[in-house]
Amino acid sequence: MTRARLIAAVFTAILSTGITELAAAPDEKTTPAHAFRISEETDALLDNYCYTCHDEETQKGDIRLDNLGGLESSKRLDLLNRMQEQLYFQHMPPPKKKRQPSEEERKAILTFVATELGLHGASTLEGKLQKPEFGNYLDHEKLFSGEYKDLPGFTDDRRWLISEYIFNAKFQRMLENNPKAKRNGKNVSVLGSSKIQNLSLTNPFLLPNVSGVRYYANEDLTGGHLSSMLTNAQKTAEHITGYLVKRNKEYLPAINEIMALEDEHHATLASRRQFLKTFIARLSDELYGNKNESLLPIFIPVELKAVKALAEGEKYKKAPFHVAQNMLKGLEGDSTVYQSLLDPQHEKKSDEEFRKLCELTWFYFGDHERKIQGRMTILRDYMPELREQLVKDNGRKIKPIVYKALDDSEMDVVRKSITKHRKKGDHYGEIIEKCIAEWEQGFEQERIAAGPPSDQLLSDLVNQLSVQILERSADTTEAAEYLALSKSYVTKLGKLKAIQKLIQTFILSSEFSYRQEFGTGEADEDGRRMLSSRDASYAIAYALTDQSPDEELVKAVESGKLKTREDYKREVLRILKKRDAIYLIDPILADKNYRDNTTDTAIRKLRFVREFFGYPAALTIFKDEKRFGGDRLGNATSRLLNETDRLVEHILENDQDVLEELLTTEKFFVYHDGDNERMQAASDRIKSIYARFKDLDWKNFKQEDLLDHSEFLREVKMRSVDPDKLEARNRQGNTIQLFKKSMETITARLDKGQQEAAPFDLYRGYGNDFMPGYNISKFFNFRMNNWDYQTIQPAKVAHRKGLLTHPAWLIAHAQNTETDPVHRGKWIREKLLAGTIPNIPITVDAVIPEDHNRTLRDRLASATEASYCWKCHESMNPLGYVFESYDDFGRFRVEESLEYPDKLITKSSDKGTLLTDTRDVYKTLPVNSTGYLKGTGNDSLDGELKDALDLAERLGKSRRVRQSIIRHAFRYFMGRNEFLSDSKTLIEAEQAYAANGGSFDAVILSLLTSDSFIYRKAIAN
Amino acid sequence: MNRRRDFLKTSALGAGAMALAPSFNQLLAASAGTGVPKRFIFIRKSSGIRPAEIALPDFSDKDKALDEKKQALEVDLDKHELPKWLRGLDAHKEHMTILQGLSAKMSENVHYSFSSVMGCFKSNRNTLSAIKRATIDFELAKLFPSPFGHVELSFAGGRSGIVSGYSAPSPQTRNYCYADPDTARSELFKSVLNPEAVNSDNDMLSFLQGREGLKASGIKGHEKRRQEMQIESIHAIRERNKKLIELSGSLARHLPELAPVHANGGANASTPEKQAAMTDVLIAALKAGLTNVVTYTIDDLGTPVTGLPGNETDRVGIHPLGHDEAFGGVPAWKTREQIRISHVNQIKTIVEKLKQAPEGNGTMFDNTMIMYFPENGETHHGIGLESPFLIMAGNNCNLDISGRYVRLPILGTEGHKTLGNFYTTLLNAHGNPMEHYGDLDLEMARKKLDQTGAIKQFMA
Repeated sequence: MTRARLIAAVFTAILSTGITELAAAPDEKTTPAHAFRISEETDALLDNYCYTCHDEETQKGDIRLDNLGGLESSKRLDLLNRMQEQLYFQHMPPPKKKRQPSEEERKAILTFVATELGLHGASTLEGKLQKPEFGNYLDHEKLFSGEYKDLPGFTDDRRWLISEYIFNAKFQRMLENNPKAKRNGKNVSVLGSSKIQNLSLTNPFLLPNVSGVRYYANEDLTGGHLSSMLTNAQKTAEHITGYLVKRNKEYLPAINEIMALEDEHHATLASRRQFLKTFIARLSDELYGNKNESLLPIFIPVELKAVKALAEGEKYKKAPFHVAQNMLKGLEGDSTVYQSLLDPQHEKKSDEEFRKLCELTWFYFGDHERKIQGRMTILRDYMPELREQLVKDNGRKIKPIVYKALDDSEMDVVRKSITKHRKKGDHYGEIIEKCIAEWEQGFEQERIAAGPPSDQLLSDLVNQLSVQILERSADTTEAAEYLALSKSYVTKLGKLKAIQKLIQTFILSSEFSYRQEFGTGEADEDGRRMLSSRDASYAIAYALTDQSPDEELVKAVESGKLKTREDYKREVLRILKKRDAIYLIDPILADKNYRDNTTDTAIRKLRFVREFFGYPAALTIFKDEKRFGGDRLGNATSRLLNETDRLVEHILENDQDVLEELLTTEKFFVYHDGDNERMQAASDRIKSIYARFKDLDWKNFKQEDLLDHSEFLREVKMRSVDPDKLEARNRQGNTIQLFKKSMETITARLDKGQQEAAPFDLYRGYGNDFMPGYNISKFFNFRMNNWDYQTIQPAKVAHRKGLLTHPAWLIAHAQNTETDPVHRGKWIREKLLAGTIPNIPITVDAVIPEDHNRTLRDRLASATEASYCWKCHESMNPLGYVFESYDDFGRFRVEESLEYPDKLITKSSDKGTLLTDTRDVYKTLPVNSTGYLKGTGNDSLDGELKDALDLAERLGKSRRVRQSIIRHAFRYFMGRNEFLSDSKTLIEAEQAYAANGGSFDAVILSLLTSDSFIYRKAIAN
Repeated sequence: MNRRRDFLKTSALGAGAMALAPSFNQLLAASAGTGVPKRFIFIRKSSGIRPAEIALPDFSDKDKALDEKKQALEVDLDKHELPKWLRGLDAHKEHMTILQGLSAKMSENVHYSFSSVMGCFKSNRNTLSAIKRATIDFELAKLFPSPFGHVELSFAGGRSGIVSGYSAPSPQTRNYCYADPDTARSELFKSVLNPEAVNSDNDMLSFLQGREGLKASGIKGHEKRRQEMQIESIHAIRERNKKLIELSGSLARHLPELAPVHANGGANASTPEKQAAMTDVLIAALKAGLTNVVTYTIDDLGTPVTGLPGNETDRVGIHPLGHDEAFGGVPAWKTREQIRISHVNQIKTIVEKLKQAPEGNGTMFDNTMIMYFPENGETHHGIGLESPFLIMAGNNCNLDISGRYVRLPILGTEGHKTLGNFYTTLLNAHGNPMEHYGDLDLEMARKKLDQTGAIKQFMA
């Protein structure tokens, strides 16, 4: 029996009773009384293969196996778990040992261990095997042979923790937030944003940063999630009650109804306060006439720190006016100052008198001494500038405040209160606070008299919150429970806090954080049940979009049309085809304000390819601009990632031979926004400028020479070259200088026989570029001064074939300053060849030795081709070596630079222009990009490899590769590893792909209508 | 699957954890004698520290030349005078280290660094997605657990209340911080000042726990275990809340007093007053054992500054001062110096107050490290070429650094050390054997110069 079959057989044996209960420690209540025993046969096997290193004397790795019977139960079970893993993954006996158990012998020991662990429900291996990194341990041949296709497919009943994307979607939906992004130059509403205005949440459901499938259903809600959600819930509740319901009366209307009286009182108080803050002085004059001044407190001017004379030689540069202006605003003094300056009765006041006036105003109001000091210092130092500012403003922004009284009844109340509370010596601010206190008290009495909210109102609130947060109405029992809870909250906390607490309660329910996937209804003969229609709608929606079910899906549920496989098919197809929703693709690009980061196809389809290939990690690898050869590397990398997405989207949209195309396409997007017409027009413009001036002596033009071309320049709009504003200049030069700078790059784009001109900005200036990231050309070996641009894309690029030769993938699977053949090879082995690679042994220090005279491949080979290491590296290195024809930036090369100080030939300037390359020049050695492919299961594909293109070609033809990708797609859409009972699902998915011209949509459809997706089965105890 | 006891270990330090912290082990175990923790106070300032400002004024000619040429240098502080703005710490020179020559180019520099200076990554102008790892303060907090885990105090932006901070408990997660002394006091000592607020969650948690319990019946296998874990999580938080209330008696004696000017955000408090009040809260939190790690953003470019000696009635802006634009007739460099003096006054207070608090065979300060450093390198528009550090460390410090002025070789030369090396040193010296903390410096990588690991000469 082959190793793979053995593993599969053992695995099947372990799982033959269904998913066993997983526990890291034995459950004492259910453990039957059981005396531990090792049979003679087993003992003999252990003696033969294990005791030599793990007996009482030797105890290698502090492991002793010859006294299992003497151990306390929990320690024994721990040890048995470790044995099981080591045996299962064939780490023990160590591969280098000559004496190895036969397959039967290994199976026998494993059976013994598994049985013992199973008796206590204590095995941890099953849990481990459910993790993404262990998915490939299930025998690939068995899965696709057909031998197991009659096993009934299903997924266990489960709750599936939401992902970071679903978290974002839930909060966006709950808060009815409508984020926007740019798409084709227009602002559009997008799904998938993480940003909510005025609310900052912590997303505790972040997925691991790994290449491959990241979102599995075997994660549990932990205390850490709960802690974060507690704060999120609190902040959200405050945001809803303090902001959202005030902005939008239709949003959770029960809240405004419950808080109606409070809101009314609050608004009244706010309006009275605002009126008094602005006009109390005037009102007091009206009320008290001449007596008013005598009632005011005795004026105490503030002291200002004296300005000392500068010491000799000392320099002093006053802070500019805009700084002082902001300070004055921060000190809340700007309004008084500007209003007083605007007041005609103060027009003729001197600076001194004016300052006195302001100080009196502030003093009488009762502003804090420190605030007044700060304001007065600004007035002392910036009076002329303040006056000038007003003149410059000329009534545009700074306008006089016109007196507007409150309505008559309000004015009565206000006057009465002032006269009631004012005492001699009161500052205006104190009078206002006394009045407010009286009114607040009165309003509070009113609210107490009105009593608590009615049961009906609270029930309305409960239902509205349930719909808004849990996306369903509360059933009768729940409604009663929540009503009782609400009433207790109101009694203990008051209305506002009660509402907030209720919102938090809903958000913190497990239903919010988990997707529900339990079978309902009649079980079939295999004990399988279908999901409820509602749960099915969420399963489908989340599988494809991360969003809650759309309108059509909801209607399908309500009308009973989401019950059969055909129903599922209809909905899945519809969602795959629809194009009326726009999704944000990459949150990191969104954070960088990168435009065109959107797609109109179901986002999870594109994201599968992103995560599977792992190329988005290119954005996170910290790279050196000097080694890149130019600046603005960040922009270039952002564009690189975005254009990789565009390429993938293009392939997915064509939906023909998708997997082959992804691996072997020779056409790429390089500095192109996806619109061929627009790119052509941009190139034509540059060509027209070149044609106009190329035969003229533009290098010696004077400014006035441009006037001869005024009409043309107005038409083509060269950046910063406006014939009607020839005297203009910016930080980089005047008009004629910038014209020549532009002509330099235009000429470089077209003077070597290039047919089209890359549409980057004519010269590099400040401000927004037309299309940022023109340096992307460097990744593809295009020289900016000799770039034969392609306006129609995707277009063929030399030395490239498929995503594995795309710079984004190459960078994502490289180190900061070097390539990484081992990880590139590992990726191919695991992702494309369904292989397994064990972890690095703990005793190994995985470092490539330095040697200034050898290539990285050579150095790596010397460290890893020793027999002990080669057992694992054989599966990786030969696949990774072929990519040595690309450096760590993904640039094609035939020579490898020896980037050591002693190998330096020429040091280039660190600062370059748009057209130059700032890389230093080093001695080189030729690249060896040969390799070896093994493991496709196809003798015509396995064999020696010339280079990466050769590898890509063969991988594209390999059935095993196709199947491996489909296995990963299964994991992605199901959220779990596959079992042998999923064999039929996988076989049919592959058949669907082949039967539909290599359609990935067909694969998705097949998976989401398979038994594995549709059916659930209760977990056996 | 996590068991009950694992829940405490695996809890991430989310913001809710500030009042509901995952680990009581340190505080509750203190009486059982589990050992004295180490404490770390990170004080970050804006607008750079110019290396020349922190250099010793009375270097010998030879040492001055080495220092100016940015070459390796080490001298004893007790043989030298301190620069004027550091003289407030004269009495504590034996505990002082002036560390020059660390580079921080992998961090974000120029005006603001946000999370990056304490995480050694670029923060992409304060975007969440750029936060690559837990910042160094949180890593240290994991080694010395406490009820609040980690506390962040901040005067950045002149805000008040509980607002977003710069430290990060984990990738793509931003911490919350207390932005004024009154809020810090109210939150840290909530169980003393407002026990009702702590209790108010209990009804909600009890309800949730009850509902989960109902759901748990009829479910089997791993789903049952999952449900049980959820119930356990809720229960653990309720228990912690209960314990917080129980501790309120012993916390009360550490409750700091704040002057009325700090109420409601303290808009009228002067900068020295605010700093002193926040320092008082910081010290109280340490003494009460609420935390062992504090990050204190003492200012950033948006912090309004008032009441400084020399500019008593001016409101000054740190950003214009960085451009040599000045206020009230006082040259910018003088005001900048006064700002630094005000910072040093806080450090002095912390050192002296902790020296007065007995602990073990000595004092609390013996087990404390204070680090004062710029968030953005060597000047107002720093590029991270140098990031001077002022360190005050007690007698039991695990690093061998005190009492010295140390200049490490400049960036791009053999023996140069980055901020990442320094943080690795802190971690390795305190029980985290991480090989290297933070992103690598690209120039050092390009020149194939070794740059990973701890600074061996500092390891005791």
